[in-house]
Amino acid sequence: MKRAPLVMMGTVAGLAGVLSFNSTPAKLTLGSLASSSSGTSSAPSTTTTASSSPPPTTATSTVTTPPRTAPTTTTTSAPPVTTTTVSSSVRTAIGPSVDYNFGILSVQVKVTGSKITNVSIASINDGGNYRSVSIDQQAIPLLEQEVMQAQSGNIQSISGASYTSAGFIQSLQSALSKLGL
Amino acid sequence: MGTIVTIDVYRGDCSDDSPLEASLEAAIAILHDADVLFSTWKPESPISRIRRGELDVDEAPAIIREVLEQCGVARSLSGGWFDPWALPSGVDPTGLVKGWAAQRALAALRHDAIDGAIVNAAGDIASFGGPTADKKFRVGIINPANPRSLACIIESPGAVATSGSYERGQHLFDPRRGIFTASVASGTVVGPELGLADALATALVVGGTEVLDILERLDDFEGLVIESGGKLLTTTGFPIVS
Repeated sequence: MKRAPLVMMGTVAGLAGVLSFNSTPAKLTLGSLASSSSGTSSAPSTTTTASSSPPPTTATSTVTTPPRTAPTTTTTSAPPVTTTTVSSSVRTAIGPSVDYNFGILSVQVKVTGSKITNVSIASINDGGNYRSVSIDQQAIPLLEQEVMQAQSGNIQSISGASYTSAGFIQSLQSALSKLGL
Repeated sequence: MGTIVTIDVYRGDCSDDSPLEASLEAAIAILHDADVLFSTWKPESPISRIRRGELDVDEAPAIIREVLEQCGVARSLSGGWFDPWALPSGVDPTGLVKGWAAQRALAALRHDAIDGAIVNAAGDIASFGGPTADKKFRVGIINPANPRSLACIIESPGAVATSGSYERGQHLFDPRRGIFTASVASGTVVGPELGLADALATALVVGGTEVLDILERLDDFEGLVIESGGKLLTTTGFPIVS
């Protein structure tokens, strides 16, 4: 397996790109964590997809636009994974709490071998306002589902009207990295 | 554009990844360039300057004029149901540009060593080839009543775009009535090019069965409407597999 993180050259605020290669069949293909940031804005992030045979090469580019009211901050790479538990072949990791446009969340992932068996939200604080809660209730199940579906092998991609959370992906990526995937 | 783009590349036997890396890098650069030019969130972007009346379209970068021309094509194809010029906040090609950018990024992935590729821009998909030489890509369409599940699975003819009211609330603008609305739970359009498919999907979810009838008369595009009650309506050529 060869992994080649690619950090985007652009210094536009809050942009990051990732790619990785996976030459082993029936294994997850995951983006390696990479991020870039400018000095003036926030939230670089990465994402990941999963697949089974034949293995695609996966690259992901995340283009995040800060909310209009976002404070000006500088963010570098994601903080380390906070917890890991190992029991028999099922392993679990919780990604770091990540600030996304509508709150703060962390993602928990369970894997058996190299297969993701569960993706869920470990913690979320969206401030409770209606718009955030509404988006979270719709977007997070979709993100969880994308991860699960993408490795099923029956379909290669999912089309839907999505409000995709970079924070979800960033936390998930860190959790998976902790598990060596 | 505030969105996440996933690129999957399927390749045959290829021991050297470096040409693929260059292709991927080019594809990602195209997406970032589009974000710089077309983000309505960024006050300094050319499109924001056009919207404020600070920049004349004729003096804008050629790529912006190209996108606005495509918006005109989409407005015509959709019978006016897609109209970026009707928005109260000024011209906004967002409904087309995400798909258009993904389609351009896909073009950068054409390479002898690549059998197939998918660029998925937050649920709008441009692809060529397939997972293997003899197969087409299969795409799951989200069930708007329960985004954890799929409403159906289709074969991608190259572009698959879905718009819906279920994630962002009623964010779709009805240019005919001048209000934000959505006629159906979700609308999916497939065809040869994702920019137009994206715009037509926006029109479809606003115009519902009226736009489905328009799509029925177009040779290159097919449509699927999912009504709020869960009923699926399609044009005759829509490529449902299951």
